[in-house]
Amino acid sequence: MNVQVGDSIPDWVMESVRPERMRTMAAILRDPNPVHWDRKAVAALPFGIGERTINQGPLGLSYMLNMLMDWAGPTSVRRVTVRFPKVVLDGDHVTAGGRVTAIREEDGVRLADCDIWLSREGESPSLEGTATVALPES
Amino acid sequence: MADIQPPVEEIRALVGHEFPGGKYTVAHWENFLLTECTGSEPLPDGLVHPVVLFHMPILGANTSIGGMFALGQAESDFSIGIESYDWEIERPLHEDVEYTVTGRVTEADRMEGPRRNDRPGVYDRIQFRFELHEPGGDFAASSTITWTYRRSAA
Repeated sequence: MNVQVGDSIPDWVMESVRPERMRTMAAILRDPNPVHWDRKAVAALPFGIGERTINQGPLGLSYMLNMLMDWAGPTSVRRVTVRFPKVVLDGDHVTAGGRVTAIREEDGVRLADCDIWLSREGESPSLEGTATVALPES
Repeated sequence: MADIQPPVEEIRALVGHEFPGGKYTVAHWENFLLTECTGSEPLPDGLVHPVVLFHMPILGANTSIGGMFALGQAESDFSIGIESYDWEIERPLHEDVEYTVTGRVTEADRMEGPRRNDRPGVYDRIQFRFELHEPGGDFAASSTITWTYRRSAA
């Protein structure tokens, strides 16, 4: 795989964050927080976001993982570190993106360090962080 | 709802707290549903989607999201904020493999200032680290979770 510092990772797009996926995720996670499945509970909070549930942080992170795995393969991700400056809401159209910041070798494996982010169009990132990905041989 | 501010000494004393620990095996149905939630097609060869590194370590260590809220004396579910998640994968995780899970609190302290999307104020910052090992004992993955627990308005 021919990768160089500065290369962009192909975008991964979630056309519309779906509330039913948040509900399934809440059940799998045993997550009791109603912000992920009860629109009226969210509307009652002083956040000003109306009746839209808040996507679980790990789900937003998973879109960035999908971007990395589509690019370098399903076993490529070695590390992700992600911060959460903003929330992602049901109905949002979000795009995961990334850029290679360094290439190095460790124990015979070629690794790419990357900046990664998840954003609504035209906005600063809702999630942002770094990743290390093992690059395939060819 | 009333703001609750536990003594800072109780928060700092959480450092070193260990969860009971235990085992966790990801079944195919769980991986299938989890992966579908991410918008991805199932991964090949029984690979577990790495997003499992949020809940699998928590449940495998014999705690829960609600239990971690309670450990930090959260005022309510709404008072929790995410600072960061840091996941390391030494070996890809697979369905139907029984992983051994350990977990503990690595950092805990009181902070003051603005939090993400929130009013300024006092909050407690608590960091949890979980580790997964394969049946043979080899390190497989880790998850470091850093949450903030809002305590009061400015």
